[in-house]
Amino acid sequence: MLHRIFGLETEYGLLIHEDRPDHSPTWFAHQIRNHLFQVQRRGVLDLHHRGHDEPPGNGGFITNGGRIYLDMGHLEYASPECHSLTDVVASDRAGDLLLQRAIEDLGLSEHVSLIKNNIDHETDATFGSHENYLVSRRFPFSRRGLAPFVTFLVTRQIFTGAGRIGAASPQDAWIQVDRLIVPRATVGVRGGSNLPFQISQRSDYIVNDFFEWVQHNRAIVNTRDEPLADPNEFRRIHLLLGDSNMAEYATALKLGVTGLVLQLIEEGHAPQDLEIDEPVEALQEISQDQQRNWVVRLQSQRTISALDIQEQFLDCALRHCRGQDEETDWVLAQWASVLNDLRGDYQKLVGRVDWASKLWLLECFREAERVDWSDPLLKSLDLEYHNLNPAKGLYYGLVEEGRVPRMTTDALIQIATEEAPKNTRAYGRSALVRYLLEGGGATDADRVANPDGLFPAYVINWSIFQVRGHAPFPMLDPFRTYRDEVRTHLEPSIV
Amino acid sequence: MKYSLMSERREGPGDPMPKSPSPLEDGGGPRRPETGSPDKDSLLKRMRRVDPKQAERYRQRTGQ
Repeated sequence: MLHRIFGLETEYGLLIHEDRPDHSPTWFAHQIRNHLFQVQRRGVLDLHHRGHDEPPGNGGFITNGGRIYLDMGHLEYASPECHSLTDVVASDRAGDLLLQRAIEDLGLSEHVSLIKNNIDHETDATFGSHENYLVSRRFPFSRRGLAPFVTFLVTRQIFTGAGRIGAASPQDAWIQVDRLIVPRATVGVRGGSNLPFQISQRSDYIVNDFFEWVQHNRAIVNTRDEPLADPNEFRRIHLLLGDSNMAEYATALKLGVTGLVLQLIEEGHAPQDLEIDEPVEALQEISQDQQRNWVVRLQSQRTISALDIQEQFLDCALRHCRGQDEETDWVLAQWASVLNDLRGDYQKLVGRVDWASKLWLLECFREAERVDWSDPLLKSLDLEYHNLNPAKGLYYGLVEEGRVPRMTTDALIQIATEEAPKNTRAYGRSALVRYLLEGGGATDADRVANPDGLFPAYVINWSIFQVRGHAPFPMLDPFRTYRDEVRTHLEPSIV
Repeated sequence: MKYSLMSERREGPGDPMPKSPSPLEDGGGPRRPETGSPDKDSLLKRMRRVDPKQAERYRQRTGQ
């Protein structure tokens, strides 16, 4: 996929199956994190404060170059930097597998389930799936330059959404209209349990078009300027409006199509004159449209469907990107296929588009059990779609029935739990983590002070690390592996 | 197709990105299941095992 680095960050939910006040989701998260680092030795815990809510020991980098840590009480996995869709899918699934296996190793499978979703129906809590795309520093990161991207992002949920029962409750749901943020109820958007089903989990929680915060006032485009690379060369497009996808196909398509649209914008080929009149409102209206007509109003006052907008982006991508590499052509073919199928019976999308899979399962259940949309049991089934226990999760039921196209294999996912992609800087970071795990550079004093770890002092961040006794080692170019340089850099201490 | 995880490894297919995922070959997606068909029964069995109260138990904190 051309000159693009992809990454995914996933915050997981933990569903506790017993009523014990001392066993909170955070308590389980600590057990799982400790097992991964201290028993399985998957990586090295941070020894420094990464932030006020990330004290030493909160998490760390693992041998595949990614990170596992606790963020606001949630277990979070950040994939290593990936240079292909196949790598990012395998690396994303590797995070699921690492955490699920830890639960099984701990003998906790009957006590807690790992849920890869983004909402709590009862509390209206939300937690994220964040996408990262590396672009050139020359990317037109301005309101005008990003206008086509906003239009694309508002409408892509028709094939990237994971679907949910209901909506965020009105008292917690705000929306941007005419540059003001107002309660959703005042603009007539349905909320709470009155809404049977909507196609996106996160759309209710996006209340701004551009903003830098990630916990409140979430925006369609997060504007935090944190490239985690050479700031003179790169910008990291950080998106937090998307849903966690269970379907590997949906993950690949979401990242692939978004990567191509970023390329269109970088090269000046994105479709113009498609600016949506109220993009935040449109984001929620599309998600909640029960007829799935998905019509939006443009600033020109023309109305157009999200499908037609996506077709226009696809047409541009076909004209300007087709043939550039095999992965691009796969994305273009599947983008066209999904848009075509969205014009017909949604059941054609089962297995490829998460909201369609979930809706089909719920409809099957409703039909068989004669259950009304208002039955709270459907919320529990909604959650179970995202259960990462293959013996329980409804998504895995579809996999078992052969209804889900795979984009990787179980063997490759297993490999990706341990190995970094070999064409990004994650490869060099992986070498560092292995070096530290093997006790490289530890002194006798270290061994006395820390008999379990054998670690010398170190600081590891995405774009730089330092090991005691060595100069800082910047890794400013995510496209370089730094493998040999890292080994050479660390050599003196192992002589 | 570049697949960097594949290099230096023995497992896995040569090209894990399918040219045409199998559901597309017959027009996309699964067929609507027949009532009482084994596959639908299997999925319904999974769904019937779900704790109907588990959504109330979830109780997550807001994250990012």
